[in-house]
Amino acid sequence: MLTGLAVVGVARFLQQRQDFENATARSYQREIEARNDLAAGRQPAIARTTIESQQRQRQVLRNEISDETRDTALLVGAGLIAGLTGAALLFTGLISSMRRPLEDLVEASGRLASGDLDVRVKVGGLSETATLGGAFNEMAEELQRRAGERDQLERMKDEFVLTASHELRSPLTSVQGFAELLLLERERLSPRQAETVEVILDNTRHLVRLLNDLLDLARSDAGRLTIRPEPTGAASLIEEAARTMRAQLDARGQELRLQVDADLPEVEADRDRIRQVLVNLLTNANEYCPQGAQIEVKARRAGAEVEIDVIDNGPGIPAEQLEHIFERFTRGDAGETQRVGGTGLGLAISKSLIELHGGAIGAESNPGSGSTFRIRLPAIAHERAEAI
Amino acid sequence: MARILVADDSETILLLLRTRLEMEGHEVETASDGEDVVTAVLRDPGSHDLLLLDAMMPRKSGLDALRELRENGVETPALIVSAHTDGGNGAAHSDLTIAAYIPKPIDFDRLFAKIAELTGG
Repeated sequence: MLTGLAVVGVARFLQQRQDFENATARSYQREIEARNDLAAGRQPAIARTTIESQQRQRQVLRNEISDETRDTALLVGAGLIAGLTGAALLFTGLISSMRRPLEDLVEASGRLASGDLDVRVKVGGLSETATLGGAFNEMAEELQRRAGERDQLERMKDEFVLTASHELRSPLTSVQGFAELLLLERERLSPRQAETVEVILDNTRHLVRLLNDLLDLARSDAGRLTIRPEPTGAASLIEEAARTMRAQLDARGQELRLQVDADLPEVEADRDRIRQVLVNLLTNANEYCPQGAQIEVKARRAGAEVEIDVIDNGPGIPAEQLEHIFERFTRGDAGETQRVGGTGLGLAISKSLIELHGGAIGAESNPGSGSTFRIRLPAIAHERAEAI
Repeated sequence: MARILVADDSETILLLLRTRLEMEGHEVETASDGEDVVTAVLRDPGSHDLLLLDAMMPRKSGLDALRELRENGVETPALIVSAHTDGGNGAAHSDLTIAAYIPKPIDFDRLFAKIAELTGG
């Protein structure tokens, strides 16, 4: 409207200017005619009066147009100022009505990105920001729904693994138990029968290991893999693990040597779990090394930690496999001639377990000359004080 | 040798346990759920040297049966056989004075050693 006023002002100004120029031109025309009469000596008195009156009239016209020009300029100026002010006010209103919802959206996006899936924005303001807010809320809703579905699936998976592991354990107990029972009466079996029963037993134990590994993994994923640490001497754990492995090592003619420092400090450890890790490392050495290989377990104090190395002189692990060796379902290439009964989960679980103890596990290998797996566990505090 | 009450809802596991325990010279009585365990023990408290109970059984679990027996003043040592590898939640059942959890599949050497320890050889 104010812009319209300015346009009207400018138009009026142009009209007045035209009128002024027409009137001035007519006045000059009359004066010229009067001057011609004067020069010709026709009614000189009237001619002089006309000349003077035309000059006065033009002065009046000039004054009038000057006033009109000033008024019009003022009008246009006022119109422009009012227009600009109005526009500025309008834009300020517009910007502030957009800014608030946009600020809310920015904040909500940040919270959504950091995992707060409950976040929603108030939908309002201009239609564009309202649409944006609505779309944001729909997106958050969808994300929340999918996250819910994923969590539910994860829970179902964990529940399934737990239930399956539980339900399979009873029949496996029977199979393993009766196979063991048969072997107790080995002298009444033919060599072939005894061998058959041993195959049943081997495979049952493998299934049990697989179940235990899957269970540990499901627990680890659900954050429910727990340890019950107590002050423990690593030496006795190493001896127990060695005893557990004796039969398998003997079966492959492998020699196991233990070298445990006498002043080994105690560690805060869940005995079953650390033994499980040691048995896992020894089982790997047993299965991946050839007949007659040499395996060594060394334990020593290293600063505030106890270091346990499981060393073998087997075929070693190629660098590209070594990189991924603690990842799930990674299994070494044992060659076609060897029987390897691993699940591909043992080292991944071992790593989780050692890390739960606040320790670390790593592997080194020279392909062709063997591998070393090193466990580091923090020594118990008072032992650590003595070490300093 | 010891008089042992063994309870499990699986007949094959009962047969396995009975066979192995009898081969070791123990006297075995069996039950197929917690109700039977409570009835058998309360009929003649003190007639068993050891209870070997499956943690999960229909009608009444081994843990519930043991709770009922403890409430009735039965102090017979008890071993709980559990399919859960973490041995159930030990801390939650500390009032039941469970001598040990025996995980499935059963390591019979460890079971026999435990029985010998609890029944004085």
